[in-house]
Amino acid sequence: MSDVSAAILTNQPHSNPAEAVVKKPQPYSNPYLAGIGLGLVLLAAFVVMGRGLGASGAFSSLVAMGVQSTVPTHATTNEFYAEYLADTSKSPLKDWLVFEVLGVFVGGFLSGMLAHRVNVTTERGPRISVTGRLAFAFLGGALMGFGAKLARGCTSGQALTGGALLNVGSWAFMMMVFGGAYAVAYFIRRQWK
Amino acid sequence: MNAPLYKFGVFGDEISLIVAFLIGIGFGFFLERAGFGSSKKLVAQFYLTDLSVFKVMFTAIVTAMLGLFWLSWIGFVDLSQVYLNPTYLMPQIVGGLVLGIGFAIGGYCPGTSCVAAATGKLDGVAYLLGVIFGIFVFGAMFPLLKSFFYATPMGNITLPQLLHVPYGFIVFAVVLMAVGGFAGAEWVEKKMAAKS
Amino acid sequence: MHEVTITRHNIQIDPVMHIWEWQIPVYLFLGGLVAGMMMIGGYFLLSGRHKTSRSMCYTMPLLGIVFLSLGMFALFLDLEHKLYVWRLYTTFQPTSPMSWGSWILLLVYPALLATILLKIHEHIPFFLKSRLSFLMKLSSRISDLPNSYRIIGIVNMALGAVLGMYTGILLSALGARPLWNSSILWFLFVISGLSAAAAFVHLIAQEKFERELLAKADNGFLIIELFVIVLFLVGLLSSTAAHQNAAKLLLIGEYAAPFWVFVVGIGIVIPLVVQSLAVTHKVKHTPIAPLLVIGGGIVLRFIIVAAGQQSSWLLTPQNNPVITVLH
Repeated sequence: MSDVSAAILTNQPHSNPAEAVVKKPQPYSNPYLAGIGLGLVLLAAFVVMGRGLGASGAFSSLVAMGVQSTVPTHATTNEFYAEYLADTSKSPLKDWLVFEVLGVFVGGFLSGMLAHRVNVTTERGPRISVTGRLAFAFLGGALMGFGAKLARGCTSGQALTGGALLNVGSWAFMMMVFGGAYAVAYFIRRQWK
Repeated sequence: MNAPLYKFGVFGDEISLIVAFLIGIGFGFFLERAGFGSSKKLVAQFYLTDLSVFKVMFTAIVTAMLGLFWLSWIGFVDLSQVYLNPTYLMPQIVGGLVLGIGFAIGGYCPGTSCVAAATGKLDGVAYLLGVIFGIFVFGAMFPLLKSFFYATPMGNITLPQLLHVPYGFIVFAVVLMAVGGFAGAEWVEKKMAAKS
Repeated sequence: MHEVTITRHNIQIDPVMHIWEWQIPVYLFLGGLVAGMMMIGGYFLLSGRHKTSRSMCYTMPLLGIVFLSLGMFALFLDLEHKLYVWRLYTTFQPTSPMSWGSWILLLVYPALLATILLKIHEHIPFFLKSRLSFLMKLSSRISDLPNSYRIIGIVNMALGAVLGMYTGILLSALGARPLWNSSILWFLFVISGLSAAAAFVHLIAQEKFERELLAKADNGFLIIELFVIVLFLVGLLSSTAAHQNAAKLLLIGEYAAPFWVFVVGIGIVIPLVVQSLAVTHKVKHTPIAPLLVIGGGIVLRFIIVAAGQQSSWLLTPQNNPVITVLH
């Protein structure tokens, strides 16, 4: 039975005109306004918590927990994991950054939903396959994860937070991020254009 | 009342996690508003067609920096209580370089990939899995990397301390640099738009 | 997994109880979910939704039987003396919520089966029809009875309500744990079960009318749930010091972060916002909101069971979150 005949049988309007129209994604905000919003969130983190934002640290906790539950001996002897597993009275996931990143997912979803920008896709240039793009994304993520741990933070934890605090290491880091990205951008342009 | 509120014991560890969640919502919200849930938008920075990454990042840095500067100047925020990541120059330079390469190849950074994944981008999900893998590799290799990880320590040091100039002076310089950068960014964008 | 001894010679109950693991919250959630589905399904029968071919009226009891059986299996896993489970049915103890519960569970199955029987002759695959002719006869006889739909609908709603209430009363009756000593806990579980059921059926409903109706109903349930949570906490806070400490476990203590973030934030407020926008056609309908509601319902049971076991009449630092926080 088709939707329409079922709807007639039940005396229900078969389609709501408002929903029949696929809502178009709204344009992004003005970058300066979004930047001020982001800056105020960062300021709120400084004032309320005495610390900045972050992202990669949450995934370190996740990895540390994963390693701890699979090979506990390795986790306790390795200094890197030990840092995330120091407090044995609670789960390593009960961590500030883990909850913050959870919020990032929620906030991102809310904003995207309000602007009709939530849909399942793979973003890629016209000359690369979906699998190719996903492989590049994974590779880029792996480099990022490794680099972020070496630099003690990522774009959020170092560049943004440390940048606002005028942290020496963060400014050096920030320059290198842009440098590294511009250096390789030309060679991987096929992925995007 | 003094800030940072948490450091002065206004609330405990459990509440701090709820605060973390709320702050994260704001963080994710504005990242998505800026368009940073899209890898195409992010990497456009590196092809000079859309300099939003630079604009958003520096507006945010300037906003938070000025806010913190004024709030500490009127005596509300105790700056010494705000956590400063210690500087280890060499690993941070190399790490930044690797991270920048990862940024251009993957199209995201960890924070923005969360927003991408939350809005349904599968490349964002793949990227996040990559981040987890990268961290795992770093953790596994840590014994080898340890000496480099702790190389060239400089302690908790800020630009004003390094250059021996007043805090306000550097704040002013960064604002000037940002404003100049914004003007430059607008000019570059116009130029690139005309070219294509 | 040892049976609770209420007198204080059981080392597993002092200073904190650690007897109930995942089985109990899973059972409580599934029980609440099925209770909510029975109430919604009963309402659908009453309001004549069964005349629509793709109504959820018949899918719900079928899934209800599956979920309830899974829940009871979890409960069975928790039993110390599994062989003697049948003894529950050799007696009826009017003062014991456990006894009430075991008998209610026994009544729920026939009610669900009766609902399925109502129209099985229309839905069963043709190759089974001839083999199960006796079932067909029974089915058409029941559905031909005057008022059979109304009666089965009412029975479903009533039994669903009792089943939902019992999951909360079961905990409230345990006087030794102050967090559970709330006269409103049963209602919290009923409303949480209803919201999870509305979300779940919304997720799988094939008909748009039912989907939208359940999304709207779910919003109502979630708003009520928020109020009930506030009343639950206020009730504990205006009671004895032990009750206040129990409430503080959720307010500032060990369970505050998961409770406010996962139950209230991600499980109620955010789906409420998303679903409110969706029913007013401001944004697309997504399965995200109902999934979050269901997740929140599961976490709520886990937290109430775990925090309740942690709460105690003894004011040791371990269960006194104020002392713990100040450490």
